[in-house]
Amino acid sequence: MNNDGCARGDIAGGSDGDAAALAGCGTGRRVSYQLYIDGGIRLVADAWLAESLLGVLRDHLGVMSVKDACEQGRCGSCSVLMDGRLVASCTVLAADAAGAVVTTVAGLGAGGPARAVRAAFLAHGAVQCGFCTPGFVVAVTDLLARRPDADEDEIREALAGNICRCTGYGRIMAAIRSIQDTRR
Amino acid sequence: MIVAVPHQATDQATDQSADQSTDPAPPRTARLHRPLTVAEAVEILADGDAEILAGGTDLVPALRARQREPRRLVALRRVLELRSRGASANMLIIGAGVTYHDLTGWSLSPGLAAMARVVGSPQIRNTGTVGGALGTANPRGDLLTFLSAVGTEIVINSARGARTVDVASFLATGLAPTELVTAVRLPRPCGPQVYLKIGSRQAASAALVSCALVVDRVHERVTCAIGGIAHQPTRPAAAEEFVRQGVDWSTGTIPADVVAGFGELVAEAAGAVPDPLPDDVGVSAAYRRHAAGVLAARAVGRCLPAAAPGAIPGSAGPGSAGPGSAGRFRS
Repeated sequence: MNNDGCARGDIAGGSDGDAAALAGCGTGRRVSYQLYIDGGIRLVADAWLAESLLGVLRDHLGVMSVKDACEQGRCGSCSVLMDGRLVASCTVLAADAAGAVVTTVAGLGAGGPARAVRAAFLAHGAVQCGFCTPGFVVAVTDLLARRPDADEDEIREALAGNICRCTGYGRIMAAIRSIQDTRR
Repeated sequence: MIVAVPHQATDQATDQSADQSTDPAPPRTARLHRPLTVAEAVEILADGDAEILAGGTDLVPALRARQREPRRLVALRRVLELRSRGASANMLIIGAGVTYHDLTGWSLSPGLAAMARVVGSPQIRNTGTVGGALGTANPRGDLLTFLSAVGTEIVINSARGARTVDVASFLATGLAPTELVTAVRLPRPCGPQVYLKIGSRQAASAALVSCALVVDRVHERVTCAIGGIAHQPTRPAAAEEFVRQGVDWSTGTIPADVVAGFGELVAEAAGAVPDPLPDDVGVSAAYRRHAAGVLAARAVGRCLPAAAPGAIPGSAGPGSAGPGSAGRFRS
Protein backbone atom coordinates (compact mmCIF):
# COMPACT_ATOMS: atom_id res chain seq x y z
CA MET A 1 0.00 0.00 0.00
CA ASN A 2 1.66 3.18 -1.12
CA ASN A 3 0.53 6.48 0.20
CA ASP A 4 1.81 9.06 -2.07
CA GLY A 5 -0.45 11.53 -0.32
CA CYS A 6 2.15 11.81 2.39
CA ALA A 7 4.78 14.34 1.51
CA ARG A 8 7.22 12.94 4.03
CA GLY A 9 7.46 10.78 7.08
CA ASP A 10 5.79 7.88 5.41
CA ILE A 11 6.22 4.22 4.81
CA ALA A 12 6.05 2.95 1.30
CA GLY A 13 4.83 -0.59 1.49
CA GLY A 14 5.11 -3.24 -1.16
CA SER A 15 2.90 -3.49 -4.14
CA ASP A 16 0.92 -6.32 -2.63
CA GLY A 17 -1.17 -4.08 -0.48
CA ASP A 18 -0.20 -6.03 2.64
CA ALA A 19 -2.47 -4.71 5.33
CA ALA A 20 0.15 -5.40 7.95
CA ALA A 21 2.47 -2.95 6.29
CA LEU A 22 -0.09 -0.32 7.09
CA ALA A 23 1.42 2.85 5.87
CA GLY A 24 0.93 5.71 8.20
CA CYS A 25 0.78 9.39 7.60
CA GLY A 26 2.05 11.46 10.45
CA THR A 27 3.25 14.94 11.09
CA GLY A 28 6.79 15.66 10.04
CA ARG A 29 8.88 12.57 10.14
CA ARG A 30 6.67 10.68 12.51
CA VAL A 31 4.70 7.75 11.31
CA SER A 32 1.92 5.53 12.57
CA TYR A 33 1.69 1.83 11.92
CA GLN A 34 0.52 -1.39 13.49
CA LEU A 35 2.59 -4.13 15.06
CA TYR A 36 1.59 -7.62 16.12
CA ILE A 37 2.79 -7.83 19.71
CA ASP A 38 2.12 -10.85 21.90
CA GLY A 39 -0.90 -11.94 19.94
CA GLY A 40 -2.56 -8.55 19.68
CA ILE A 41 -2.47 -5.69 17.22
CA ARG A 42 -0.97 -2.55 18.72
CA LEU A 43 -1.12 0.85 17.11
CA VAL A 44 2.11 2.79 17.16
CA ALA A 45 1.24 6.45 16.80
CA ASP A 46 3.62 9.21 15.83
CA ALA A 47 6.89 7.35 16.17
CA TRP A 48 10.06 8.49 14.45
CA LEU A 49 10.83 6.36 11.44
CA ALA A 50 14.33 5.55 12.61
CA GLU A 51 13.23 4.12 15.96
CA SER A 52 14.18 0.61 16.97
CA LEU A 53 11.65 -2.01 17.96
CA LEU A 54 13.10 -1.80 21.46
CA GLY A 55 12.45 1.94 21.62
CA VAL A 56 8.93 1.62 20.29
CA LEU A 57 8.05 -1.26 22.62
CA ARG A 58 9.16 0.67 25.68
CA ASP A 59 8.52 4.31 24.83
CA HIS A 60 5.35 4.00 22.77
CA LEU A 61 3.71 0.77 23.84
CA GLY A 62 4.80 0.57 27.47
CA VAL A 63 6.20 -2.95 27.17
CA MET A 64 8.75 -2.56 29.94
CA SER A 65 9.78 -6.22 30.20
CA VAL A 66 11.94 -5.62 27.15
CA LYS A 67 15.02 -4.09 28.75
CA ASP A 68 17.19 -1.36 27.35
CA ALA A 69 20.89 -1.70 28.07
CA CYS A 70 23.55 -1.79 25.37
CA GLU A 71 21.51 -0.81 22.30
CA GLN A 72 24.10 -2.57 20.16
CA GLY A 73 22.74 -6.08 19.96
CA ARG A 74 25.34 -7.36 22.39
CA CYS A 75 23.70 -7.91 25.76
CA GLY A 76 20.44 -9.70 24.91
CA SER A 77 18.35 -7.90 27.52
CA CYS A 78 15.96 -6.73 24.79
CA SER A 79 15.54 -10.23 23.30
CA VAL A 80 12.20 -11.02 21.68
CA LEU A 81 11.02 -13.55 19.15
CA MET A 82 10.33 -12.14 15.72
CA ASP A 83 8.53 -14.54 13.40
CA GLY A 84 9.67 -17.24 15.80
CA ARG A 85 13.35 -16.33 15.77
CA LEU A 86 15.26 -14.94 18.70
CA VAL A 87 16.42 -11.40 17.94
CA ALA A 88 17.70 -8.39 19.82
CA SER A 89 14.90 -5.85 19.40
CA CYS A 90 17.43 -2.99 19.46
CA THR A 91 18.68 -4.18 16.06
CA VAL A 92 15.22 -4.25 14.47
CA LEU A 93 13.72 -1.17 12.85
CA ALA A 94 10.25 -0.92 14.40
CA ALA A 95 8.51 0.30 11.27
CA ASP A 96 10.02 -2.60 9.35
CA ALA A 97 8.60 -5.04 11.92
CA ALA A 98 5.10 -4.27 10.67
CA GLY A 99 3.70 -7.55 9.47
CA ALA A 100 5.99 -9.66 11.63
CA VAL A 101 4.85 -11.57 14.70
CA VAL A 102 6.66 -10.19 17.73
CA THR A 103 6.64 -12.14 20.99
CA THR A 104 8.00 -10.73 24.23
CA VAL A 105 8.34 -12.64 27.49
CA ALA A 106 4.71 -11.81 28.26
CA GLY A 107 3.55 -13.39 25.04
CA LEU A 108 5.24 -16.74 25.58
CA GLY A 109 2.12 -17.98 27.30
CA ALA A 110 0.82 -18.52 30.78
CA GLY A 111 1.27 -22.27 30.54
CA GLY A 112 3.43 -24.69 28.65
CA PRO A 113 7.15 -24.46 28.21
CA ALA A 114 7.49 -20.80 29.20
CA ARG A 115 5.74 -21.49 32.49
CA ALA A 116 8.21 -24.27 33.21
CA VAL A 117 11.10 -21.94 32.46
CA ARG A 118 9.76 -19.23 34.75
CA ALA A 119 9.08 -21.73 37.53
CA ALA A 120 12.56 -23.23 37.21
CA PHE A 121 14.18 -19.79 37.32
CA LEU A 122 12.31 -19.09 40.56
CA ALA A 123 13.00 -22.49 42.10
CA HIS A 124 16.73 -22.26 41.39
CA GLY A 125 17.21 -18.62 42.29
CA ALA A 126 18.25 -17.86 38.74
CA VAL A 127 17.15 -14.28 39.25
CA GLN A 128 19.39 -11.82 41.02
CA CYS A 129 18.75 -8.20 40.09
CA GLY A 130 16.32 -9.44 37.44
CA PHE A 131 17.28 -7.02 34.69
CA CYS A 132 18.45 -9.70 32.27
CA THR A 133 15.74 -12.18 33.26
CA PRO A 134 13.05 -11.41 30.65
CA GLY A 135 15.62 -11.73 27.88
CA PHE A 136 16.95 -14.95 29.36
CA VAL A 137 13.47 -16.43 29.71
CA VAL A 138 12.78 -15.70 26.03
CA ALA A 139 16.14 -17.15 24.98
CA VAL A 140 15.83 -20.26 27.15
CA THR A 141 12.26 -20.93 26.01
CA ASP A 142 13.44 -20.58 22.42
CA LEU A 143 16.39 -22.91 23.01
CA LEU A 144 14.36 -25.63 24.71
CA ALA A 145 11.76 -25.51 21.96
CA ARG A 146 14.42 -26.01 19.29
CA ARG A 147 16.82 -28.25 21.18
CA PRO A 148 15.12 -29.87 24.16
CA ASP A 149 18.10 -32.10 24.89
CA ALA A 150 20.84 -29.52 24.43
CA ASP A 151 23.98 -30.40 26.36
CA GLU A 152 25.83 -27.96 28.55
CA ASP A 153 28.09 -26.63 25.77
CA GLU A 154 25.15 -26.06 23.50
CA ILE A 155 23.19 -24.29 26.23
CA ARG A 156 26.09 -22.00 27.00
CA GLU A 157 26.55 -21.22 23.34
CA ALA A 158 22.83 -20.57 22.84
CA LEU A 159 22.83 -18.13 25.75
CA ALA A 160 26.07 -16.38 24.78
CA GLY A 161 24.08 -13.42 23.51
CA ASN A 162 22.46 -12.83 26.91
CA ILE A 163 24.65 -11.19 29.49
CA CYS A 164 23.91 -11.38 33.22
CA ARG A 165 25.94 -8.68 34.90
CA CYS A 166 25.30 -10.27 38.30
CA THR A 167 27.07 -13.29 36.74
CA GLY A 168 24.35 -15.66 37.90
CA TYR A 169 24.96 -18.11 35.10
CA GLY A 170 25.38 -21.12 37.38
CA ARG A 171 21.84 -20.84 38.72
CA ILE A 172 20.50 -20.27 35.22
CA MET A 173 22.24 -23.42 34.03
CA ALA A 174 20.85 -25.35 36.98
CA ALA A 175 17.35 -24.12 36.16
CA ILE A 176 17.65 -25.27 32.57
CA ARG A 177 19.03 -28.68 33.53
CA SER A 178 16.15 -29.17 35.96
CA ILE A 179 13.63 -28.49 33.18
CA GLN A 180 15.38 -31.02 30.98
CA ASP A 181 15.42 -33.56 33.83
CA THR A 182 11.71 -33.25 34.51
CA ARG A 183 10.98 -33.82 30.83
CA ARG A 184 12.88 -37.07 30.64
CA MET B 1 14.83 22.47 4.90
CA ILE B 2 15.88 20.72 8.03
CA VAL B 3 19.58 20.34 8.59
CA ALA B 4 20.88 17.50 10.70
CA VAL B 5 22.83 18.84 13.63
CA PRO B 6 25.45 16.98 15.62
CA HIS B 7 23.84 15.08 18.41
CA GLN B 8 25.39 13.88 21.63
CA ALA B 9 25.96 10.18 21.80
CA THR B 10 22.98 8.35 23.15
CA ASP B 11 23.82 6.01 25.96
CA GLN B 12 22.06 4.44 28.87
CA ALA B 13 22.35 7.54 30.98
CA THR B 14 20.71 9.85 28.47
CA ASP B 15 18.22 7.31 27.26
CA GLN B 16 15.18 8.84 28.85
CA SER B 17 16.13 12.36 27.82
CA ALA B 18 16.41 11.11 24.26
CA ASP B 19 12.65 10.84 24.24
CA GLN B 20 11.62 12.11 20.88
CA SER B 21 9.12 14.67 22.10
CA THR B 22 11.84 16.67 23.84
CA ASP B 23 14.57 16.14 21.29
CA PRO B 24 15.53 19.49 19.79
CA ALA B 25 16.57 18.12 16.42
CA PRO B 26 14.14 15.67 14.89
CA PRO B 27 15.68 12.71 13.08
CA ARG B 28 16.25 13.35 9.43
CA THR B 29 15.03 9.97 8.21
CA ALA B 30 11.73 10.65 6.53
CA ARG B 31 10.80 7.67 4.49
CA LEU B 32 10.91 3.91 4.71
CA HIS B 33 10.65 1.84 1.57
CA ARG B 34 9.77 -1.81 1.84
CA PRO B 35 10.20 -3.22 -1.65
CA LEU B 36 9.22 -6.76 -2.50
CA THR B 37 11.64 -7.34 -5.37
CA VAL B 38 15.21 -6.47 -6.30
CA ALA B 39 13.88 -4.51 -9.27
CA GLU B 40 11.81 -2.31 -6.98
CA ALA B 41 14.70 -1.89 -4.55
CA VAL B 42 17.24 -0.71 -7.14
CA GLU B 43 14.70 1.65 -8.65
CA ILE B 44 14.30 3.30 -5.26
CA LEU B 45 18.08 3.41 -4.73
CA ALA B 46 18.51 5.12 -8.10
CA ASP B 47 16.87 8.22 -6.65
CA GLY B 48 19.75 8.65 -4.19
CA ASP B 49 20.11 9.62 -0.50
CA ALA B 50 18.97 6.23 0.73
CA GLU B 51 20.57 3.63 2.96
CA ILE B 52 19.96 -0.07 2.66
CA LEU B 53 18.56 -1.79 5.73
CA ALA B 54 19.48 -5.47 5.63
CA GLY B 55 19.57 -7.38 8.94
CA GLY B 56 19.87 -4.15 10.90
CA THR B 57 22.55 -5.32 13.34
CA ASP B 58 24.80 -2.40 12.38
CA LEU B 59 22.42 0.17 10.97
CA VAL B 60 19.61 0.19 13.55
CA PRO B 61 21.90 0.90 16.54
CA ALA B 62 23.62 3.57 14.44
CA LEU B 63 20.26 5.16 13.63
CA ARG B 64 19.31 5.12 17.30
CA ALA B 65 22.61 6.75 18.26
CA ARG B 66 22.13 9.21 15.38
CA GLN B 67 25.51 8.33 13.95
CA ARG B 68 23.77 7.83 10.64
CA GLU B 69 20.74 9.71 9.42
CA PRO B 70 19.85 8.79 5.87
CA ARG B 71 16.98 10.66 4.30
CA ARG B 72 15.43 7.39 3.19
CA LEU B 73 15.70 3.77 4.23
CA VAL B 74 15.24 0.81 1.92
CA ALA B 75 14.38 -2.23 4.01
CA LEU B 76 15.10 -5.56 2.33
CA ARG B 77 13.34 -7.84 4.81
CA ARG B 78 10.47 -8.53 2.43
CA VAL B 79 12.59 -9.11 -0.70
CA LEU B 80 12.21 -12.86 -0.67
CA GLU B 81 14.29 -13.42 -3.80
CA LEU B 82 17.36 -12.32 -1.80
CA ARG B 83 16.84 -15.10 0.72
CA SER B 84 17.51 -18.05 -1.55
CA ARG B 85 20.68 -20.08 -1.76
CA GLY B 86 21.65 -22.92 -3.99
CA ALA B 87 24.37 -24.68 -5.90
CA SER B 88 25.39 -25.57 -9.41
CA ALA B 89 27.88 -28.31 -10.25
CA ASN B 90 30.82 -26.26 -9.08
CA MET B 91 29.47 -23.05 -7.53
CA LEU B 92 27.48 -22.05 -4.50
CA ILE B 93 25.24 -19.03 -4.84
CA ILE B 94 23.96 -17.32 -1.74
CA GLY B 95 21.43 -14.51 -1.75
CA ALA B 96 22.33 -11.32 0.08
CA GLY B 97 19.38 -11.75 2.44
CA VAL B 98 20.53 -15.14 3.71
CA THR B 99 21.29 -14.94 7.43
CA TYR B 100 24.16 -16.52 9.31
CA HIS B 101 21.60 -18.80 10.92
CA ASP B 102 20.53 -20.00 7.47
CA LEU B 103 24.14 -20.91 6.69
CA THR B 104 24.66 -22.76 9.97
CA GLY B 105 24.47 -26.44 9.22
CA TRP B 106 24.37 -25.99 5.44
CA SER B 107 25.67 -29.35 4.28
CA LEU B 108 26.87 -28.09 0.90
CA SER B 109 29.47 -25.91 2.56
CA PRO B 110 30.59 -27.25 5.92
CA GLY B 111 33.34 -24.64 6.18
CA LEU B 112 30.95 -21.77 5.65
CA ALA B 113 28.50 -23.38 8.06
CA ALA B 114 31.20 -23.67 10.72
CA MET B 115 32.17 -20.04 10.18
CA ALA B 116 28.55 -18.89 10.44
CA ARG B 117 28.13 -20.83 13.66
CA VAL B 118 30.76 -18.73 15.45
CA VAL B 119 29.49 -15.32 14.36
CA GLY B 120 28.22 -13.20 17.25
CA SER B 121 25.33 -14.60 19.25
CA PRO B 122 22.15 -16.45 18.24
CA GLN B 123 20.38 -13.09 18.15
CA ILE B 124 22.95 -11.70 15.71
CA ARG B 125 23.03 -14.88 13.61
CA ASN B 126 19.25 -14.78 13.29
CA THR B 127 19.26 -11.26 11.88
CA GLY B 128 22.65 -10.53 10.31
CA THR B 129 22.84 -11.21 6.59
CA VAL B 130 25.47 -11.92 3.95
CA GLY B 131 24.65 -8.70 2.12
CA GLY B 132 24.76 -6.72 5.34
CA ALA B 133 28.25 -7.99 6.16
CA LEU B 134 29.46 -6.93 2.72
CA GLY B 135 27.67 -3.58 2.87
CA THR B 136 29.14 -2.76 6.28
CA ALA B 137 32.54 -4.26 5.34
CA ASN B 138 33.79 -4.22 8.91
CA PRO B 139 37.51 -5.12 8.68
CA ARG B 140 36.94 -7.61 11.51
CA GLY B 141 33.93 -9.24 9.86
CA ASP B 142 34.03 -13.03 10.02
CA LEU B 143 32.30 -13.54 6.69
CA LEU B 144 34.66 -11.22 4.81
CA THR B 145 37.67 -13.26 5.91
CA PHE B 146 36.05 -16.48 4.80
CA LEU B 147 34.85 -15.14 1.45
CA SER B 148 38.31 -13.70 0.78
CA ALA B 149 39.94 -17.07 1.38
CA VAL B 150 37.67 -19.05 -0.92
CA GLY B 151 37.67 -16.47 -3.71
CA THR B 152 34.20 -15.05 -4.08
CA GLU B 153 32.35 -13.08 -6.70
CA ILE B 154 29.95 -10.41 -5.51
CA VAL B 155 26.85 -9.90 -7.64
CA ILE B 156 25.72 -6.28 -7.61
CA ASN B 157 22.52 -4.92 -9.11
CA SER B 158 21.49 -1.39 -9.91
CA ALA B 159 18.79 0.16 -12.04
CA ARG B 160 21.25 -0.07 -14.93
CA GLY B 161 21.75 -3.82 -14.63
CA ALA B 162 23.95 -6.33 -12.87
CA ARG B 163 27.70 -6.58 -12.53
CA THR B 164 30.05 -9.02 -10.86
CA VAL B 165 33.22 -8.17 -9.01
CA ASP B 166 35.66 -10.27 -7.00
CA VAL B 167 35.58 -9.79 -3.26
CA ALA B 168 38.98 -8.09 -3.00
CA SER B 169 38.05 -5.42 -5.57
CA PHE B 170 34.67 -5.05 -3.94
CA LEU B 171 36.21 -4.37 -0.55
CA ALA B 172 38.73 -1.98 -2.07
CA THR B 173 36.22 0.10 -4.00
CA GLY B 174 32.89 -0.47 -2.26
CA LEU B 175 29.42 0.09 -3.60
CA ALA B 176 27.95 3.05 -5.38
CA PRO B 177 25.01 4.51 -3.42
CA THR B 178 22.65 3.34 -6.15
CA GLU B 179 23.88 -0.26 -6.03
CA LEU B 180 22.70 -3.28 -4.11
CA VAL B 181 24.60 -6.49 -3.32
CA THR B 182 22.22 -9.24 -4.34
CA ALA B 183 24.28 -12.43 -4.06
CA VAL B 184 27.70 -13.98 -3.64
CA ARG B 185 29.09 -16.81 -5.74
CA LEU B 186 31.83 -19.05 -4.45
CA PRO B 187 33.37 -22.32 -5.53
CA ARG B 188 31.99 -25.48 -3.98
CA PRO B 189 34.40 -26.93 -1.43
CA CYS B 190 36.99 -29.37 -2.76
CA GLY B 191 38.64 -30.19 0.53
CA PRO B 192 38.84 -29.23 4.19
CA GLN B 193 38.09 -25.64 5.24
CA VAL B 194 38.75 -24.10 8.62
CA TYR B 195 37.85 -20.77 10.17
CA LEU B 196 39.59 -19.70 13.39
CA LYS B 197 39.47 -16.48 15.31
CA ILE B 198 40.80 -14.82 18.43
CA GLY B 199 38.91 -12.21 20.40
CA SER B 200 37.55 -11.28 23.77
CA ARG B 201 33.98 -12.54 23.86
CA GLN B 202 32.55 -13.97 20.68
CA ALA B 203 28.96 -12.97 21.31
CA ALA B 204 29.69 -9.41 22.27
CA SER B 205 32.62 -8.23 20.18
CA ALA B 206 34.20 -8.80 16.82
CA ALA B 207 37.26 -11.00 16.40
CA LEU B 208 40.62 -9.31 16.85
CA VAL B 209 42.26 -11.60 14.34
CA SER B 210 40.67 -14.23 12.16
CA CYS B 211 41.97 -16.79 9.73
CA ALA B 212 40.14 -18.73 7.05
CA LEU B 213 42.03 -21.52 5.34
CA VAL B 214 40.74 -23.49 2.39
CA VAL B 215 42.35 -26.60 0.97
CA ASP B 216 41.53 -27.53 -2.60
CA ARG B 217 42.45 -31.17 -3.05
CA VAL B 218 41.36 -31.16 -6.69
CA HIS B 219 43.46 -28.23 -7.89
CA GLU B 220 46.14 -28.86 -5.23
CA ARG B 221 45.97 -25.43 -3.71
CA VAL B 222 45.80 -23.85 -0.30
CA THR B 223 44.31 -20.38 0.08
CA CYS B 224 44.23 -18.34 3.23
CA ALA B 225 42.88 -14.99 4.36
CA ILE B 226 43.64 -13.12 7.57
CA GLY B 227 41.16 -10.63 9.02
CA GLY B 228 41.79 -7.90 11.56
CA ILE B 229 45.20 -6.87 10.21
CA ALA B 230 44.34 -4.37 7.50
CA HIS B 231 41.19 -2.65 6.31
CA GLN B 232 40.33 -5.72 4.33
CA PRO B 233 41.35 -9.35 4.70
CA THR B 234 44.97 -10.10 3.80
CA ARG B 235 45.86 -12.86 1.36
CA PRO B 236 49.42 -14.04 2.09
CA ALA B 237 50.36 -15.08 -1.44
CA ALA B 238 53.92 -16.19 -0.68
CA ALA B 239 52.75 -18.30 2.23
CA GLU B 240 50.03 -19.90 0.11
CA GLU B 241 52.56 -20.84 -2.56
CA PHE B 242 54.99 -22.15 0.05
CA VAL B 243 52.42 -24.46 1.59
CA ARG B 244 51.16 -25.58 -1.82
CA GLN B 245 54.60 -26.84 -2.63
CA GLY B 246 55.10 -28.31 0.81
CA VAL B 247 52.01 -30.51 0.92
CA ASP B 248 52.27 -34.10 -0.25
CA TRP B 249 49.17 -33.97 -2.42
CA SER B 250 49.11 -37.71 -3.09
CA THR B 251 48.41 -38.38 0.58
CA GLY B 252 47.13 -34.96 1.61
CA THR B 253 49.64 -34.72 4.42
CA ILE B 254 51.89 -31.89 5.50
CA PRO B 255 55.30 -32.00 7.22
CA ALA B 256 55.61 -30.23 10.55
CA ASP B 257 58.27 -27.82 9.29
CA VAL B 258 55.97 -26.72 6.47
CA VAL B 259 53.24 -25.97 9.01
CA ALA B 260 55.66 -23.91 11.07
CA GLY B 261 57.12 -22.16 8.05
CA PHE B 262 53.65 -21.32 6.81
CA GLY B 263 52.83 -19.65 10.11
CA GLU B 264 55.96 -17.56 9.92
CA LEU B 265 55.29 -16.48 6.35
CA VAL B 266 51.73 -15.51 7.25
CA ALA B 267 52.96 -13.42 10.19
CA GLU B 268 55.47 -11.83 7.83
CA ALA B 269 52.76 -11.03 5.30
CA ALA B 270 50.63 -9.57 8.08
CA GLY B 271 53.50 -7.27 8.98
CA ALA B 272 53.89 -6.08 5.40
CA VAL B 273 50.36 -4.86 4.69
CA PRO B 274 50.33 -1.32 3.33
CA ASP B 275 47.34 -0.15 5.41
CA PRO B 276 47.53 -1.81 8.83
CA LEU B 277 44.78 -1.23 11.34
CA PRO B 278 46.05 0.95 14.19
CA ASP B 279 46.95 -0.40 17.61
CA ASP B 280 43.88 -1.12 19.68
CA VAL B 281 43.54 -0.47 23.36
CA GLY B 282 45.57 -3.25 24.92
CA VAL B 283 46.03 -5.05 21.62
CA SER B 284 49.01 -3.99 19.59
CA ALA B 285 49.42 -4.52 15.89
CA ALA B 286 52.46 -6.66 16.76
CA TYR B 287 50.27 -9.02 18.79
CA ARG B 288 47.79 -9.31 15.95
CA ARG B 289 50.57 -10.14 13.49
CA HIS B 290 51.87 -12.83 15.83
CA ALA B 291 48.34 -14.19 16.33
CA ALA B 292 47.87 -14.32 12.56
CA GLY B 293 50.84 -16.67 12.25
CA VAL B 294 49.66 -18.83 15.13
CA LEU B 295 46.14 -19.11 13.71
CA ALA B 296 47.34 -19.85 10.19
CA ALA B 297 49.66 -22.65 11.34
CA ARG B 298 46.90 -24.08 13.52
CA ALA B 299 44.43 -23.89 10.65
CA VAL B 300 46.61 -25.69 8.14
CA GLY B 301 47.40 -28.31 10.76
CA ARG B 302 43.70 -28.93 11.26
CA CYS B 303 43.00 -29.23 7.54
CA LEU B 304 45.87 -31.54 6.63
CA PRO B 305 47.17 -34.40 8.76
CA ALA B 306 50.84 -34.38 9.65
CA ALA B 307 53.16 -36.33 7.39
CA ALA B 308 54.90 -39.23 9.05
CA PRO B 309 58.44 -38.13 10.01
CA GLY B 310 60.84 -38.85 7.19
CA ALA B 311 58.08 -39.50 4.69
CA ILE B 312 59.13 -36.58 2.52
CA PRO B 313 62.70 -36.60 1.29
CA GLY B 314 64.43 -33.48 2.49
CA SER B 315 65.84 -32.69 -0.92
CA ALA B 316 62.45 -32.75 -2.64
CA GLY B 317 60.54 -31.10 0.17
CA PRO B 318 60.22 -27.38 -0.37
CA GLY B 319 59.78 -27.20 3.38
CA SER B 320 63.54 -27.20 3.65
CA ALA B 321 63.59 -23.86 1.88
CA GLY B 322 61.23 -22.27 4.37
CA PRO B 323 62.04 -20.17 7.37
CA GLY B 324 63.57 -22.12 10.21
CA SER B 325 62.58 -22.69 13.84
CA ALA B 326 60.09 -25.45 13.20
CA GLY B 327 57.43 -25.67 15.83
CA ARG B 328 57.70 -22.10 16.94
CA PHE B 329 54.11 -21.45 16.00
CA ARG B 330 52.69 -24.68 17.25
CA SER B 331 50.22 -24.05 20.00
